[in-house]
Amino acid sequence: MEEYAREPCPWRIVDDCGGAFTMGVIGGGVFQAIKGFRNAPVGIRHRLRGSANAVRIRAPQIGGSFAVWGGLFSTIDCGLVRLRGKEDPWNSITSGALTGAVLAARSGPLAMMGSAMMGGILLALIEGVGILLTRYTAQQFRNAPPFLEDPSQLPPKDGTPPPGYPSYQQYH
Amino acid sequence: MICTFLRAIQYTEKLHRSPAKRLLLPHLVLNKACLKTEPSLRWGLQYQKKTVRPRCVLGVTQKALWTQGPSSRKAKEDSSKQVSVHRSQREGTAVSTAQKVKEAGRDFTYLIVVLFGITITGGLFYTIFKELFSSSSPSKIYGRALEKCRSHPEVIGVFGEPLKGYGEATRRGRRQHISFIEYVKDGLEHMRVKFYIEGSEPGKQGTVHAEVKENPKSGEYDFRYVFVEIESYPRRTIIVEDNRPQDD
Repeated sequence: MEEYAREPCPWRIVDDCGGAFTMGVIGGGVFQAIKGFRNAPVGIRHRLRGSANAVRIRAPQIGGSFAVWGGLFSTIDCGLVRLRGKEDPWNSITSGALTGAVLAARSGPLAMMGSAMMGGILLALIEGVGILLTRYTAQQFRNAPPFLEDPSQLPPKDGTPPPGYPSYQQYH
Repeated sequence: MICTFLRAIQYTEKLHRSPAKRLLLPHLVLNKACLKTEPSLRWGLQYQKKTVRPRCVLGVTQKALWTQGPSSRKAKEDSSKQVSVHRSQREGTAVSTAQKVKEAGRDFTYLIVVLFGITITGGLFYTIFKELFSSSSPSKIYGRALEKCRSHPEVIGVFGEPLKGYGEATRRGRRQHISFIEYVKDGLEHMRVKFYIEGSEPGKQGTVHAEVKENPKSGEYDFRYVFVEIESYPRRTIIVEDNRPQDD
């Protein structure tokens, strides 16, 4: 934790934007290569040329739209964190919904609501996956919990002052 | 007038069938050169596979051709429909049983895939709802403990307002995961939660430990204790709430 002396939040936006762009370019590149290959005339040279052309034209566009989505999502997320003052899964879901709404803004309010719902549901699913993964991978490392005493930072029940050393407990 | 009408119809037919512009140009050239040539008309009606050899004179012949066109097309369609009906009737039972088995197998596999997808999605939704809405989830307890810290004057005095809370740093800097332990003692569920707080005072960080116990009567989770440990030397502990004397 000490290495991240600065707040992750403003820098997270750039991070997410770049990561999303890379994902879009690579994924879009693969799909467009296959599509260009299939839609080209018969003959391996035509096909390769068609495939390369499709990648050259479409992959940056796909990367760009992914980057816009990721950057906007992260910006709204950081804004919500600053506003609410705490970080929890609600921020992600609300950010996803607002991102979907903003990106569909040109198509009118009904499309905005539909897009917001899709974004929110998508992010709820992603958060669910994250939570499940974290809980179940952590459970693998946990032994049967020992009988836990009260932490030693608290005074004992009869009221004498607490000692200086914290007890080492197994959190996950 | 009939010629222009015919020409227009041929143009649209060709447009539908061959979108490439190169094919249209020779057709235009042909038509413009002489309307009455055989090849253009034959090309237009070619799909019927009928070699019509008209003496293309304006008037009766062309009209006859055009009226023949759709009727011959209809006749061809009817005959093809009849052929297919005959065929299905003759080999009917054998083909359809095999077809049925294959289709049933395919439908069954699709059904399995769909059910699998629905189960997984349902499981994810259940997890996220439990996390966000159930009052026994670590996120909710963290929220309640944070509220208690925010309203405690000593904590505000040390850290300054506004207070913000966060959990463990997961990948790429998101700090949403709250570390917690659940255990059962005397038949009641206990949960311990640990998170970090920071205020507007620079350099001061605190760790909040909270424990909740299940209330057997109401099923709600009540706080047993909440305390804040300040990361300074010497370590200082602020006890926000201590309900342990009410245990017994």
